[in-house]
Amino acid sequence: MSLFSTANHSGIPSGSKNSMRRITNSLGIFLFLLPGLVIFLIFVIYPIFRSIYFSTFDWNGLGPAVDNVGIQNYKDILTDKVFLKSIINVLIIIVLSLGIQLPLALLLATLVGRDLPGRAVYRTIFFLPYVLSEVNAAIMWMLLFNADPERGLLNGILVALNLQPVGWLSDMKVVLFSVFIALTWKYFGFHMLLYLTGLQNIPTEIEEAACIDGANSFQSFFHITLPLLSSTIKTSVYMSVLGSIQQFILVWIMTKGGPVNASETMATYMYRFGFVRFDLGYGSAVAIIMFIFCVVFSLIYQQLTREPDYLTGL
Amino acid sequence: MNRKLSFLISIIFIAVFALSACSTAAPTEAPVVATDAPAAATEAPAEPVVITWWHISTKDPALSSWQKMADDYMAAHPNVKIEITVLENEAFKTKLTTVMQSGEVPDIFQSWGQGGMIEQVNAGLLQDITDELDANNGEWRNSLGALDAFAVNGRNYGVPWDMGAVTFWYNKDLFAQAGIEKTPETWSEFLEDCEKLKAAGITPIAVGEGDKWPGMHIWAYLVSRIGGAEAFAAAADMSDARTGSFEDPAFIQAGYELKKLVDGGYFQEGFLGATHDDMQAAFGNGKAAMILGGQWSPSVQAANSADLQGVKNLGMFNFPAVEGGAGLVTDIVGGGNGFAIGKDAEPEAIDFVKYLTSLENQIIIAQDNTGIPVAKGAEVGLTDPNMVMVSQAVANSTYYQLYFDQVLPSAMGGIINDAVQKIFAGTATPEEVCAEIEAGFLAQ
Amino acid sequence: MKYSRFSTNLKRVIIPRFFQYLVLTIAVILIFVPIVILLFGSVKTTGQMYSHPYSIPNPPNWSNIFNILTTPYFWTLMKNSLIVLVGTTSATVIICALVSFVLARLPFRGKGFVFNLFTVGLMFPINVAILPVYFVLRQMEQFGVNVIDSLWGVILVQVAFQLSGNIMILRGFFTAVPVELQDAAYIDGCTNFGFFWRVLLPLVKPSLAAVSALVMIASWNDLLVPLVVLNDNKLWTLPLGTMQFQGQYGQDLALISAFVALSSIPTIIFYFFAERQIVSGLTAGSVKG
Repeated sequence: MSLFSTANHSGIPSGSKNSMRRITNSLGIFLFLLPGLVIFLIFVIYPIFRSIYFSTFDWNGLGPAVDNVGIQNYKDILTDKVFLKSIINVLIIIVLSLGIQLPLALLLATLVGRDLPGRAVYRTIFFLPYVLSEVNAAIMWMLLFNADPERGLLNGILVALNLQPVGWLSDMKVVLFSVFIALTWKYFGFHMLLYLTGLQNIPTEIEEAACIDGANSFQSFFHITLPLLSSTIKTSVYMSVLGSIQQFILVWIMTKGGPVNASETMATYMYRFGFVRFDLGYGSAVAIIMFIFCVVFSLIYQQLTREPDYLTGL
Repeated sequence: MNRKLSFLISIIFIAVFALSACSTAAPTEAPVVATDAPAAATEAPAEPVVITWWHISTKDPALSSWQKMADDYMAAHPNVKIEITVLENEAFKTKLTTVMQSGEVPDIFQSWGQGGMIEQVNAGLLQDITDELDANNGEWRNSLGALDAFAVNGRNYGVPWDMGAVTFWYNKDLFAQAGIEKTPETWSEFLEDCEKLKAAGITPIAVGEGDKWPGMHIWAYLVSRIGGAEAFAAAADMSDARTGSFEDPAFIQAGYELKKLVDGGYFQEGFLGATHDDMQAAFGNGKAAMILGGQWSPSVQAANSADLQGVKNLGMFNFPAVEGGAGLVTDIVGGGNGFAIGKDAEPEAIDFVKYLTSLENQIIIAQDNTGIPVAKGAEVGLTDPNMVMVSQAVANSTYYQLYFDQVLPSAMGGIINDAVQKIFAGTATPEEVCAEIEAGFLAQ
Repeated sequence: MKYSRFSTNLKRVIIPRFFQYLVLTIAVILIFVPIVILLFGSVKTTGQMYSHPYSIPNPPNWSNIFNILTTPYFWTLMKNSLIVLVGTTSATVIICALVSFVLARLPFRGKGFVFNLFTVGLMFPINVAILPVYFVLRQMEQFGVNVIDSLWGVILVQVAFQLSGNIMILRGFFTAVPVELQDAAYIDGCTNFGFFWRVLLPLVKPSLAAVSALVMIASWNDLLVPLVVLNDNKLWTLPLGTMQFQGQYGQDLALISAFVALSSIPTIIFYFFAERQIVSGLTAGSVKG
């Protein structure tokens, strides 16, 4: 398995190998890796295997798991319409994030740019939602989305404009978009920060040169800025997709995946079975399926983008 | 690192130390040390015992009442240390699930009895306390009511500490405004009243269907009114001799009756996404004429209302009888809270629970007016007229139907809630909903 | 002449600037609306919060804030949160720096495997892993390591789940440091550790600050790990503190608002101080040789 090829990233060009040989000692490397590896193996890797093990049981979490059902849980999950619905919902969130949230973040990052007076203030403000907890964000947005125009600001505004109020959290056609709005509010600042740092690295001379050559700002954006930002965008897309697959707390508090699974995501589905219906074997299987999705996505994305520098390219 | 940041970090460190210093200096409730022992008098100094107790009474007055009872008990039994963990309901369930799957269990913890408890008993996580209940000619047993909810095959693994009932609460002023003179006793009267309220521009019923369980109660009550005690008992039978099914006519008809409320537009705007708190707020602010809610409703609707007073003229009536149904208008759906006893609990833990459910402490719980006490004679503590009404409804009940999700295996609560929500949303027919519940039951 | 310069300025600078500020200001307002409602809520009663959450609190009800700030328990929570924050952040940054250094700068067999192993953590978040993680903690407890009902347990688990992402970020920064420096250091007789400690770390300090800030935010807002690990409420952290306002049948929305607003202040302060570091830190990583 090679999710991220590291062959090119030793950081040591062949020319310096002579000097290297002298001091490379494997004990040192081992000691450097030791604390990280120990904690990681115990608390992350071992639990993955334990989840795989429990995913083959019909187990309510009480007492030892004895009823081994093989891959039945997986079969049930993959044929459950609700789970398929949750996959579709996650895909919708991914598409919306990539289609709206990230471009919005990029747009604002470009507007703030690197020389706008007061940009530090904007930067700080846009990142504020990311600093607040997801529980906070969920509570605030539930208030805004309240269906009663006197209690929910959004419907209050709609009614004041003589428009029909919207069932933000109660209309099954709307609720997923409401969730997406809250997600965008919470996370676009993070992506914007990534883009801002990416922009910071583009030498101003290149854009100035383009400007002198008569390129207007749109041309210079699409032909110069965007390509130079590509590695940052790759990182941002990667994190956005993984985040969407794993998104849980905000959705759970706001909608519990409802009404009637209209905003179900894979993670709320997992929680529903693991902690509400106490079917821990089934819940573990959902967790493993989510894990597999993430791994598969990473591998494909790796292939598509070739250069393995999601985070190295920040 | 730049100056500002290192400055900040040093501030954090200083703050940590300063705060640790003051909190050790502050009078924390240090464990009562054994040197205070003489208070317990005659007995030889006993082995130190630690009791872990998880409860979900996060708010006063119950929170302080429990703490005081624990403190008093510790003062009287210096060898006992009671470690209380107070958790919010959802968090409690998450934490209990996580802890139990690893085989650990607190000595005393919040339980609603029946379904969930049966599973814990089968997994060997609870302790049989029947003998303690029966000791001294059943002194403890005879002092309490509602013990059956915490018994499995006649053996008790816990005891209740309060009980309650779900009933309709209504706003008398809004009823008068719509020209309704008396509270409905039959389902068709109820539907007519809803129509009158709606015609008068008043939202008849508030429901928090985003949380699912508030609306589920309406369906459960309809089942109980249509099928009587029998229909549910037959469907919920876990033995091979099961005669009923969740697809029996009573369950399906209940779905259709519920659908009448949805189709009639009797619920508030956005009820599908509303929380239980929203529903109480709508009612408390006079924006809906009725809610179907438990004994906690009077206090919650007041707390969630703009003026903190809630509905000025609050009334209560029993869920109306459905014409031709087997259930009576005086049958009650309800349930309560209790303590389950963990497998490793020391005898002192059981003794402490005995103390918690003693008459004097039950009167204190009654005075909190959040539920009806279970100790016989403790009702005298109820001071709130609303609680007295609930208490009388329970006392006069012809049948006391425990909440469906408490009777059934714990997974069923979620399954029923999810299924019934589809009637509210109009995404499934009552037949489909019942089939889903039945399939869920058969899978248990 | 002057006029035409002004008009070019108008076309090239002033009008775009105007639109820049206009769009940004609208965005700022949208960002602030929910936050303002939270702040309003913190000085309202719960009833007002449920009935008119977005009206201006009049008169403001300062007692929520006053009551919370004068409760010793709030400061106990604050202290615990700070201990966990300091513990998690320092441990994560140290461990991530060590691992990232080896992965970025030293050749050894199995490096690709180690790196891939760490990336796996990104795909198995704590929300999903909590059940088996608790099981591990309980086994450690049975071996006599006190991790349950201990802030150490919270720190350990938080660190474990912060490793993957931050190792990847730091590795990027470390890779970007020019190799010439490394060669020079070795010629001067530096050991691996000497190079790491004396040359590399000082160079990437802003990046370490950036990573610290991200870890701080995650640690401060973490609800699940402290909930599951800690029983004794004297050890609880701030996010668990909101539970005291959530009853079985209803929650005190106004007090919750006041509580979360107050408990967010420290993170906002961290961020305010570290913001410049984050930006310059994240930037440093991409300056490639």
